[in-house]
Amino acid sequence: MSSPAFQIRSGRLRATAPGSIPGRVTDALQRARLTVVPRARTRTSPVPFVMLVSFVLLAGVIGLLMFNTSMQQASFTTTSMERQASTLEARKQTLQMELDQLRDPQRVAREAQGMGMVIPATPAFLRLSDGKVLGTPTPATRENPLRLLPQAPKKPAVLDPPPNVVTVVGQAIEPPTGAGDARQQQQHGKNDHHERHTHGND
Amino acid sequence: MPTSLSGPASRPQTRRRGSLRGSPQLRLRFGFVVIAMVLSLFGARLVQLQGVDPEAYAAMAAAEGTTTIDLPAERGDILDRNGRPIADSVDGEMVVANPEMTRAQAPELAKFLSSRLDIDYFTTLKALRQKDRQFAYIARRVPASKAEDVVAAAKAAGYDGLDTRHDPVRDYPAGDVAANLVGFLGIDEPLAGFEATFDKQLAGKDGLERYAVGNGNRIPLGRATLEPAVNGQDLHTTIDLDLQWYVQRVLRQTREDARADSAFAVVMDTRTGEVLALGDDPTFDARNPQAAPKRDRVSRAMTDVYEPGSVEKVLTLSALIDAGKATMRTRVTVPPSLPSGDRVIHDWFGHGTLHMTLAGVIAQSSNIGTVLASRNFETGQLREYLTEFGLGQRTNVGVAGETQGILPDPSIWTSMTQDRIAFGQSLSVNALQMAAAVNTIANGGVRVSPSLVQGSATTNDGTVVGTDTTTEQRVVSKRAAHQMALMMERVVDPDVGVAPAAQIPGYRVAGKTGTAQRVGPRCGCYNGTFTVSFAGFAPADKPRFTVYVVVQNPRNGGGGGSVGGPAFAKIMSYALRRYGVPPTGTAPSHVPTTWRPGQVASPNG
Repeated sequence: MSSPAFQIRSGRLRATAPGSIPGRVTDALQRARLTVVPRARTRTSPVPFVMLVSFVLLAGVIGLLMFNTSMQQASFTTTSMERQASTLEARKQTLQMELDQLRDPQRVAREAQGMGMVIPATPAFLRLSDGKVLGTPTPATRENPLRLLPQAPKKPAVLDPPPNVVTVVGQAIEPPTGAGDARQQQQHGKNDHHERHTHGND
Repeated sequence: MPTSLSGPASRPQTRRRGSLRGSPQLRLRFGFVVIAMVLSLFGARLVQLQGVDPEAYAAMAAAEGTTTIDLPAERGDILDRNGRPIADSVDGEMVVANPEMTRAQAPELAKFLSSRLDIDYFTTLKALRQKDRQFAYIARRVPASKAEDVVAAAKAAGYDGLDTRHDPVRDYPAGDVAANLVGFLGIDEPLAGFEATFDKQLAGKDGLERYAVGNGNRIPLGRATLEPAVNGQDLHTTIDLDLQWYVQRVLRQTREDARADSAFAVVMDTRTGEVLALGDDPTFDARNPQAAPKRDRVSRAMTDVYEPGSVEKVLTLSALIDAGKATMRTRVTVPPSLPSGDRVIHDWFGHGTLHMTLAGVIAQSSNIGTVLASRNFETGQLREYLTEFGLGQRTNVGVAGETQGILPDPSIWTSMTQDRIAFGQSLSVNALQMAAAVNTIANGGVRVSPSLVQGSATTNDGTVVGTDTTTEQRVVSKRAAHQMALMMERVVDPDVGVAPAAQIPGYRVAGKTGTAQRVGPRCGCYNGTFTVSFAGFAPADKPRFTVYVVVQNPRNGGGGGSVGGPAFAKIMSYALRRYGVPPTGTAPSHVPTTWRPGQVASPNG
């Protein structure tokens, strides 16, 4: 029995109901002891909670799904981009290789020689500060050029017969026309060529 | 409870169905038997998986859905001094075919491939038609993008059965230029030159990547391991590609015109010792090495051992001046011939008694004069000098198979030997050794060790080579080197020298010819053929380059001056122009080359 509480309560009771019958006091006491304060229960609808839970659940599932999808998507993109990068890298390297082959000194020199360029024999410089020429400037000529290709192997005489040179004796009877002159000169030039050719083979 | 209460009412119906299913006991028993059978299967499988070779099964499980790809390391490039590639790695692929699928359309496909990939039609046709084979090489080492394009085009045109695989391409864009040094790669391994010597550095280390795949794509967050590939390091050489090309063309022309066996040349930067060009002819095309005979696939400048001949007089006489035994004006009386032991030494030209200064001995390349002067050496002194000049020791620039040369051991070094060595017989060198020795004179008496690699690189046997390891060592005094340069200038003088063809108009050029008898490989004796050479530097008073040209066995009767001289002048002119070295404009050397008996000797200088 919790006596202090009892006394306080009895005091209060006494104060509120002075001069009442002890039996009623006991009765009241009895009642006061048994009283359990009823909790005020409001019966709320379960729908919002269920909605919330299902929303969270749904959002989670959808979110996870979307996350997964986006990861997959990113993975596809990565794969395809990587493939593209390696293709481009390969193309770059191929182009670089082609460029290097174009820059091959041998190729450049052949192109240049084909255009009629020659490698100068003697270096000479022009000093810009006083306009003085340093060295002995010599004009570059086509005489004795640098051979860019190996000489063809010497053929045996059977495969390299001497050129058949036919000397045409000019006919004095014909009147010397311009056309005839030109032809004769051409013939002459040919002969010269043949002669040089045979000389080269000696 | 309510069902049990209402049970009796629906009994007849249940009974009827029950009779079809059998009694509950029977059903229960049957169910248990089925469950037991299934469980026993599981149990047996468990024992099989866990009891018998669990590792193999685990590995199989891991392999399922896992892809392993090799990450090939890219081979390092070999670059020239300006960063231009001499050897270059390109991502490549091989085109392969499945003959079972290609046989039906073989002729059309072969035509298509041979035109697109520049391959032989008949070889391709044969490969595509093979029977009972599922794999055939069509083309190897094709640039990746080209291979993919061709295979895609073939697929689009309706040809099946082609595929590509990784197969890196090694390209040598300059072909034969510097091929003697760079070497080449075989199908799977380096076979020669720098490719072989620096393979460890160039090759790098292949990597590996393993990851889970689904539907051909990588599964994100799946298990994955990655060992990244370590790409090979580039090799920076000191070679100047354009100069090297020019040197090789000049050498080829020189060799062809002289109908010689071979020719090689070295161009060296005087101050740094960097080799700008080291050319050989005949050489090979690195893109097609098999086309050249094996003997042409080496660097003769490094592997050919030969007697230097008169170029060696430069070393002998500068050592003599350094030792204080002579000056460039020292008077030598040169007799027509000179006995040396049981032999007699002659000059290359017949003459009576000549009165030459030491400069004249160099300018006219007199053996007798050199021998007479060199007899003033103390015992062992000349050998010491020659060792300091670097003869008899490898240059160790990173070329495999470099010859050491032969400098006779002191035990067999007699006075007769010394007489012959003084003018370049009885000792052997390689071209780079000799170029470095002559460069010592150009560099004011300080020998700078030659190098072919910029920075540093490690060969496969662990030797570190390159410009970082360059050493400098004084061999002769600055005064001796200067006097020698003045004497060498007289060699190219048209009036007093033997090699006017080596002169470059407007420049002061110092040089020395060499014509040496060759020792035949069979008999070990002089076989009547010659090594002719020319070494020199320019501008003589402020040298920038040293060029050394050697021609083996010219058949046109030419000597060092007439064969080596013009080649030297061409190469040197090109180098001077390319590097913008103007003439110094100072007065050329006029050191007297002769003296008259009775004339009063002028003070040394």
